[in-house]
Amino acid sequence: MRRHTRRVYNVCYRFVGNRTEAEDISQEVFLRVYRTLASYRSAHGGFATWMTSVTRNLLIDHYRRTKRDRLTDSLDDAMPVVESKESSARRPDEQALLGELSGQVQSALTRLSPELREAVILRDLQQLEYAEIQQVLGVPEGTVKSRINRGRIELARILQHMGVRPS
Amino acid sequence: MTWTCDQIEARLSEYVEGQLTAPEASEFELHVKGCPECAPLVASVKSLVREMRSMEQVEAPPRLVYAILDQTLGPRERVTFWQAVGNFLRGLATPKFAYGAASVMATCFIVLSASGISFRKPKLADLHPATLYRNVDRQAHIAIAKSVKYVSDLRVVYEIQSRLRQEENQLQVTPEDHAPNAPTEKKPGQTDDQSHTQPKQQNRANELARQVEMLAAECPLMFERSFR
Repeated sequence: MRRHTRRVYNVCYRFVGNRTEAEDISQEVFLRVYRTLASYRSAHGGFATWMTSVTRNLLIDHYRRTKRDRLTDSLDDAMPVVESKESSARRPDEQALLGELSGQVQSALTRLSPELREAVILRDLQQLEYAEIQQVLGVPEGTVKSRINRGRIELARILQHMGVRPS
Repeated sequence: MTWTCDQIEARLSEYVEGQLTAPEASEFELHVKGCPECAPLVASVKSLVREMRSMEQVEAPPRLVYAILDQTLGPRERVTFWQAVGNFLRGLATPKFAYGAASVMATCFIVLSASGISFRKPKLADLHPATLYRNVDRQAHIAIAKSVKYVSDLRVVYEIQSRLRQEENQLQVTPEDHAPNAPTEKKPGQTDDQSHTQPKQQNRANELARQVEMLAAECPLMFERSFR
């Protein structure tokens, strides 16, 4: 239970970049898994892969929902307010992390498009195999590889723009 | 074949993960070495991948597990202090606890008996450490002496029994030895065993009698007891 919680929470946190939201989504994931447990078939891959797949679907749902909210906010010309909200929602340890390379990578990740972001998270942070990522995302292996490649390059460029020099 | 920048970009991850063949990798490196645009990009991506793979997992807050359990299995029951006490007392009334308590009491009884505390006339002075030590020491010495004596007694008894049994067997076997056998031809140089058997048995009986006398002299009490 704790192992699954940790993995799901990590995927969520890396994707949304916010602990509170990651907690909420993790709870949703477990609720969804609990309700749809009967639909799980071992033929679909391991339980962990299936759970990651559920997590990914909910993250995409969350992204779309918040995107609509962000658009509404921008229509109200409230972008600065959103930024200040985001910065105030960050806990002190998250603020401190931003000063470190891992914090900067995390910050850069949230600027990636969701398709590339999820591919990079699954491959480089969760260290899943290509076949597992293929099952989670439901796309061919070629697409998975291409997304991971583009995601890495995009992330490296974002970091360059942020002024982060590779070690 | 010379690689273009687009090709380098397209196959960058394969290079980073070591999935290119040796000729492909050398072509890749050849281009990167001479390209001012690709070189920093490849270095950045390599460093980025290394950094991401070494990033530690974030610890989930402990409350998350409880929140998930509450949401999936329902909220936990809130138990008042007196309910908790009642549950504890109910837990005591189980056979498991009764067996445990009985074994603890038996252990205490054995330990206290071994330390020389009299249950008929219990005294507070018996619990004094010096008295406890003296009693335990005395009990231990008595127990050791008793067991040593018991073992040596047993040894003597078994010795006597085995000697007697051996003698009985000898006596049973002897008549058969003397039974008339079919006349056998005497070969030249063959000796007659019968003429030597009698003195041998006599010697053995004498020796046994000597040993029994010696044992009786050494431990008269045991000897007397075993023949009583």
